[in-house]
Amino acid sequence: MLKVEGINVYYGNIHALKDVSLEVNSDEIVALIGANGAGKSTTLKTISGLMRSKTGSITLMGEDISRTDAHKLVSKGLAHVPEGRRIFLQMTVQENLEMGAYTQPAYLKQGIKDVFERFPRLKHRKNQIAGTLSGGEQQMLAIGRALMSRPKLLMLDEPSMGLAPILVQQIFDIIKELHDTGTTILLVEQNAEMALRIADRAYVLESGRITVSGTGRELAQSDSIKKAYLGG
Amino acid sequence: MTLVSNLINGISLGSVYAIIALGYTMVYGIAKMLNFAHGDVIMVGAYISYVSTASLNVPPLLSVVIAMAVCTVLGILIEGLAYRPLRKASSLAVLITAIGVSYLLQNAALLIWGSTPISFASVVPFDSVSLFGGKLVITAESIVTVAVSIVIMVLLNLFTKKGKMGKAMRAVSEDKDAAQLMGINTNATISMTFAIGSALAAVAGVLLCSAYPMLTPTTGSMPGIKAFTAAVFGGIGSIPGAMLGGIMLGVIEIFATSYISSELSNAILFAILIIVLLVKPTGLLGKAVKEKV
Repeated sequence: MLKVEGINVYYGNIHALKDVSLEVNSDEIVALIGANGAGKSTTLKTISGLMRSKTGSITLMGEDISRTDAHKLVSKGLAHVPEGRRIFLQMTVQENLEMGAYTQPAYLKQGIKDVFERFPRLKHRKNQIAGTLSGGEQQMLAIGRALMSRPKLLMLDEPSMGLAPILVQQIFDIIKELHDTGTTILLVEQNAEMALRIADRAYVLESGRITVSGTGRELAQSDSIKKAYLGG
Repeated sequence: MTLVSNLINGISLGSVYAIIALGYTMVYGIAKMLNFAHGDVIMVGAYISYVSTASLNVPPLLSVVIAMAVCTVLGILIEGLAYRPLRKASSLAVLITAIGVSYLLQNAALLIWGSTPISFASVVPFDSVSLFGGKLVITAESIVTVAVSIVIMVLLNLFTKKGKMGKAMRAVSEDKDAAQLMGINTNATISMTFAIGSALAAVAGVLLCSAYPMLTPTTGSMPGIKAFTAAVFGGIGSIPGAMLGGIMLGVIEIFATSYISSELSNAILFAILIIVLLVKPTGLLGKAVKEKV
């Protein structure tokens, strides 16, 4: 579904991603884990076209997208829930969802129904300004908004960030559910334990370089990973 | 009666400021830049309307449409050629560029139309309305100006609240990256905002020169600055704020001119602005939305 090969990304003089390659196959959940500042978000931003790689290629369903504008990728089936949710705080819940379906006007009505079915709490807050939602609700809105574009590949950046443990569990349940209904998922997480539990495969990013990769189970049992990311 | 008449004149002048301020505030909201050339687009609009009627014998109403069309194109060109290459540059570079574009437009107008003031023929075909046996005269220009600004305000509100493009505009002004991730073409949206703002500037130019019929290449600069002030006064980025700020500014200006001193009117205007901003730094209707984590 997605193939990233040898990308190098810079912030000015800082070499943020060094020869990063990764692959996400159809119907997989792939986790990208690593410490703060390792380049996880940069990887997602480069895939979704918000940042550019100087080298290498990014292929989405057989098509080279490494030079495609971010806004054109949405209709190609890519959705990116950015770090910090980035919902439109001054717009209502409903309007946020409408923006999610910007490229899918025909799906708008059904999509809102589907999202409200999945997240009943959003339905009650339909006309509320998104900035007044709780953190968990905002995360649900961010995911719901991304689903409005009917993505084939959903990229989630730290969906559990800043949420209470019970909400974290809920978000991970939702990710599993989305995966079960046929959405391929690329998940960036600092919560490595949770991420590795649901991931088919995972990559570890350290200072801009992929150092380890394997199945979720393999990584969860590896001593070095345990030590570095799973608290011993 | 002079009080009522001053009030009407103030609201009318303020409506022109409001229409200009809408352009400032929309562009600021979406591109986070102060387009100081906006005032000069007003002047271009007035000249285009003048040339169309005086030299090409176009009916006045059609001349307004032509002026709007030309200014729309001009706005898109200014954005595309001058500001878009600086999208990632420092805001200071953009500001200097905007001032440069302002001078470019003024000097181009000077070159084309010369410095001799042109007496602008009003595009409003109606007569003044005389009330209370001639004690209160309301000019047709005042009525048309206020009516047009109300229509513009209502349409713009509908556009940004209900229209798909309008909502996309709000999304882009709040978060460009997130808007792109929704599939919104941010460059096209910014371009459209400049187009709308510039078309409104043309309308404002024609209305302004219909009420104060002297047109020179610098006609747009003072109203431009005042409209910018009005936008800040009302809360920059807010459409109702621009409208309210514009009208208040017009009323204050006319009142200060007739009751205090015409020489001091601008000083009074800006003193009030400073006081408002000291008390409420976001302007009258501006709001600072806090992010919840």
